[in-house]
Amino acid sequence: MHERSLVHRLLQQVQQIVADDGGGQVTEIRVQLGDLSGVEPLLFQVAFEEMVSVMFSSACQLSLDVVPVTAVCDHCRQQFEIVDFQFRCPDCQTGAVQVVQGDQVKLISINVNSDNPVEGVAS
Amino acid sequence: MNQRTIIVKKDIQADQKADAAVERERLGRRGTLVVNLLSSPGAGKTTLLEATARQFAGRRSMAVLVGDLETDRDAQRLAPLVPVAQLTTGGACHLELPLVQRGLQALGDPAVDFLFIENIGNLVCPASHDLAEHLRVVLISTTEGDDKPGKYPKMFRTSQAMVITKLDLLPHVPFSVDAVTEDAHRIQPELDILTNCALDGDGVSDWCEFLEQQHQQLLARYHATAVNH
Repeated sequence: MHERSLVHRLLQQVQQIVADDGGGQVTEIRVQLGDLSGVEPLLFQVAFEEMVSVMFSSACQLSLDVVPVTAVCDHCRQQFEIVDFQFRCPDCQTGAVQVVQGDQVKLISINVNSDNPVEGVAS
Repeated sequence: MNQRTIIVKKDIQADQKADAAVERERLGRRGTLVVNLLSSPGAGKTTLLEATARQFAGRRSMAVLVGDLETDRDAQRLAPLVPVAQLTTGGACHLELPLVQRGLQALGDPAVDFLFIENIGNLVCPASHDLAEHLRVVLISTTEGDDKPGKYPKMFRTSQAMVITKLDLLPHVPFSVDAVTEDAHRIQPELDILTNCALDGDGVSDWCEFLEQQHQQLLARYHATAVNH
């Protein structure tokens, strides 16, 4: 996957959301990464640390929650965790299963210090 | 310090996914089945498209958008057979929707039965990009080894069909159709499996029949929608 371009997109969205919400200094960004997202958490973290110092003027933490893949069986409606990419219902053995979570790259929340009225954008 | 938390809970790629859904709906509604063809380099995507064009000639209309890092060699191969636009990415390892839309415009946005997108040869990054396709097909050639599905699970999980190519080389390579099928079905139990040797035409009829079934299902789906509304 392209961790750098995803992080760039994330930081742009954060800037816009914070600006629309009245501004402030971003102190923490919480992101969910699914095991099936194709994104490598370590590379995402490294790209974040490189790019946040360019795009934001103040220090900002990244909190990454890695989410396992969960699926639901079309037949027996059993919900279960996918282990080792075995997409089959452990109860009725059917392969008709739908992923309910684990493929997401999701911006969950942004912590903002409101004392500083201007979002800390370097340029 | 006056802290506040803004709750967002939004997919970072939500806008791109929404754009793809709109384009898929637009093309589906007018009866164009969009097929995203993916594989590693040299698996036989262009050869299969040449064989498909010959098989459909005079019966079904099709157009091709063909992606490569450089050169228009694949477009030159296909141009005598079908309308084709070459998408060169200049180094990028996958296609994205804006490139596809630009290619469609270059062709005059033709209302064909089948629009094939020949993606960049790569089993990794293209798996993460929705190109507004209705059908995602992954090709695997017998020379690549039968252990690939487990190594590239997202590609095989997100595909609806797998085409095993270069079947004529089976006597010469350590490749098991059963093993690759089992490995792929572990990841995507509903994957349709087809085999062919497009160079000599073996299996091409079955492939085209499969495409026609998919096209019929698309037409039925949108006809049903039109009736219901």
